[in-house]
Amino acid sequence: MDMMERLMNLDRRWLYLLVGLAAVIPILAPLNLPVNVSKPVQDLYDRIESLEPGEIIMVSFDYGPSTGPENDPMGDAIIMHALARDLRVVIIALYPLGGVTEAREELERCVGDLDPPNGQIESTRFPGKVYGRDFIYFGYKDGGLAAMRLMSDNMHEVFPADFYGTPLEEYELGREVQGYDDVAFVMSLATGIIGEWWANLVNAQFGTPVAVGCTAVSAPKYFAYYRAGQMFALLAGLKGAAEYEYLVSEKYPQLADITDSFIYNAGKGWDVQSVVYSIITLFIIIGNVAFIVERRRQKRGM
Amino acid sequence: MYKKQFPLLLAFLGGAIPIVSFFITTPGDRLKVTTDTLQDWMLIIAGAALLLGVVNLFQINLRKISTRAKGWPNALWLLLSLVIAAILGLADAFDTSVFGIWGGDVAFQWIQDAAFKPLQSTMFSLLAFYVASAAFRAFRVRNVEAGILLSAALIIMLGVNPYAVKILPFLPDTTNWIMNIPNAAAQRGIIIGAALGAASFSLRILLGIERSYLGLQKGE
Amino acid sequence: MDFGTVAATWLGAFFTLCILSFLYKDNPFFRFAESVFAGVSMGYYIGNTFGQTFVPNLVHPLFTPPEGTPREWILVIPMLLGFLLYTRYVKKIAWVSRFSLAIYVGYYTGVNMMQKLQGEVLPQSADTVVSFWRAGAFANVGNWISLLVVVVGVLSVLVYFFFSAEHKGVVGGVSRLGIWFLMVSFGAAFGYTIMGRISILIGRVIFLINQWLGIGNGGVA
Repeated sequence: MDMMERLMNLDRRWLYLLVGLAAVIPILAPLNLPVNVSKPVQDLYDRIESLEPGEIIMVSFDYGPSTGPENDPMGDAIIMHALARDLRVVIIALYPLGGVTEAREELERCVGDLDPPNGQIESTRFPGKVYGRDFIYFGYKDGGLAAMRLMSDNMHEVFPADFYGTPLEEYELGREVQGYDDVAFVMSLATGIIGEWWANLVNAQFGTPVAVGCTAVSAPKYFAYYRAGQMFALLAGLKGAAEYEYLVSEKYPQLADITDSFIYNAGKGWDVQSVVYSIITLFIIIGNVAFIVERRRQKRGM
Repeated sequence: MYKKQFPLLLAFLGGAIPIVSFFITTPGDRLKVTTDTLQDWMLIIAGAALLLGVVNLFQINLRKISTRAKGWPNALWLLLSLVIAAILGLADAFDTSVFGIWGGDVAFQWIQDAAFKPLQSTMFSLLAFYVASAAFRAFRVRNVEAGILLSAALIIMLGVNPYAVKILPFLPDTTNWIMNIPNAAAQRGIIIGAALGAASFSLRILLGIERSYLGLQKGE
Repeated sequence: MDFGTVAATWLGAFFTLCILSFLYKDNPFFRFAESVFAGVSMGYYIGNTFGQTFVPNLVHPLFTPPEGTPREWILVIPMLLGFLLYTRYVKKIAWVSRFSLAIYVGYYTGVNMMQKLQGEVLPQSADTVVSFWRAGAFANVGNWISLLVVVVGVLSVLVYFFFSAEHKGVVGGVSRLGIWFLMVSFGAAFGYTIMGRISILIGRVIFLINQWLGIGNGGVA
C-alpha cells in the first residue's frame, strides 16, 4: 500500500488527535493574531457610537451554552460598549434551552456580581451604574413569536416581573420600557431561527431596527437579511465577535483590560480557531490532491 | 362532528385573529385586545407544550426499566437526573429551599454549571472532530458542481485565516464579496421559495385541508 | 473558591471527558453522560418554564395576585388548554387534546403565514429590484456587475426550484446556473459551518485547560 493509499485510509482517530492538539497548543502559547474588520460589524459599532447617552438598547439572549463560545463574547462586548457609552441596557432571553442562564452569566461577567432582591445593585466594574436604572434583566419567556408580537407595545404583559421576581413597575428602567418604540434598537444574539424572527417579524411588522450576532453556521443565510436592510448590522460567528471586541477594545482601553481578564474572550478563541481552521483547510487540500492523483493513476491504468 | 370539525374551526379562528389584526391596527379596540389576550395565552400554552416530552420520556424509560430491556441502567440514570434537576428547578421557581438547607436558586444554578452546560457544550463540540474527519475523507471534487462548492469553501476559509491573508491580502475583500453577492443571491432565492411554500402550507392548515397535525388522515 | 464552585468544575470536567471519550470508541461512560444530559436538559426545561413563565404569567396573577390587584380569572382558560394537551397520553380521551393543539397550531400558523409573506417574500424581492435605484448603484462598474449578479442569481435559483416546468432547453440552462449559485452558497455555508463547529470545541478545551487544570493564562470564568 503506497503513501497516498495509506493517507486515504488513515484511521479517523489520528485526525481527531491532530484537531485536539491544534486546539490545545494555541491556548498554552497565545498567538494574538490580527483581525480585519468587516462592514457588517463596523455598522453595529458606528450605530452604538452614534446614540446619545441615556438611550436604551435591548439585548436578547437567544442562544444556549452549546454556542456560548461564539455568542458569549458578542454579549460581553455589546453590554460593556453600551455601558461605557452611558447607554441603558435591557436584557431579555427567548431561547428555551439555556438562554436565561447565558443572559444572567454574561450580565454578571460584565457588571460584576448582582443580588438585587438583597440590595446588591451597583456594578463593581462600572461604578455608578445601577441595576434597575442603567441596566435591567427582564428574564426569559416561552412563546417565541407570540412573546415577540406582544412585546411590541405590551412589554409588561410578557414580563410582569424581572428575572429576580420583582415587578417591573418598581424599577425606573422597567417603567420606561413599554414596547419596541422605547428602545433605539434590538440586538439579538442568536443560534438558529430566533434571530431571523427579529428580522422578518419585529423589523418587518413594527419597523424596529434590529442587529443580529449569529453563529457561523447560520451566517450565510443572515447575509441575505443584512443585504435587504432587514438588519442593520451582523456579527457572524466567532470572527464577528473578535472583530467587534477589537473595535471596542481599541476605543475603550478600560474595556480591553476587563476583556483580557476573562478566561475566554473572542481574541483568545480566534487564535485557536485560526490554527484549527488552517489544519482543516490542509485536510481538504491534501484529501483532494490524493483523490485527483488516484483518479489519474486509475485512468492511466485503464 | 365536535371531535373533528370543531378543532378545525378553532385552528381557523386561532390563525385568523392574528392575520386580521395584522391589517387592522387601531390601538385600544376590541380586536387588538382579543389578539393581545390570545398572545398572552400562547405564552402559557407554549410552556405546557414544551413539557409534553417529559411524559413521553417517562413512559419509554419506565418501560425499559421494568422490562430490564437492553441499556436499562441508562434509562434509570436519565430519570434520576431528570427528577433531581426538576426538583431543583421547581424549588427555584417557587422560591423555596431544598430539604430546608440549600437555596432553590443556588441549587438550580449549581446543577446548570456542573451538568447542563458542560454536557450540552461537549455534545455539540464533538461535531468539530466529525467535520474535520469528513473534510479529509469525504469532500471530493467529483464534478463541476462539487468543484464550484470546493472553490467557494476554500476562498471563504482562506479569507478569514490571518495566515492566508498575510500572503494574499485581497482575500478578505473577495470573501466579503462572495458572502454579500452570490451567496446572498442564492440564499435570497431559497428564502423566497421556502417562504412561499411555507405560506401556502399555512393556508392549507388554516382552511382545514391539511389535518395531519390533529392525527386525522386525508378525507377524515 | 468555594466548595460548590470546585465541585461544579470537577463534575463538569468529568462529564466533558466522558463525552469526549466517544471519539475513541463507544463506552459505558459516554452512555452514562448521554443519559444524564437528556435527563438534566428536561429537568432544566421544567424549572425554567415554571420559574420564568408559569409562575409570573399564570400562578401569581391567578392564584396570588398582589394586594389591590384583581384576580385574572380569564387565565383559567389557557391553564385548562395547557392541561388538555396532556390528554393525548390517555387513549380514551386523547381526542380532547385536539382542541388545545388546534388553537396552538392555528395561532402560530397564522402568524407564520404573515411573517413569511411580509417579512421574507416582500422585502427580499423588493431589495432585488430597488437596489438598482439606490444612490451609488451605478457609481462604478464593480457595483453594476454585483447588482446584476444578484438579480441573475435570485432569478436562476427561483427557476431551479420551480418544478412544474421541465428543466430542459432555456429553463434547463437557467436552472443549471441556479445550481451553480447554490453551490457557491453551500461552499460558503460549509466554510462557515466548520468555523462554527470549531468554536464550540474551543470553549470546552479552554474550560479543561484554563479552568479545570489551571494551566496557562487564567482569569474570570
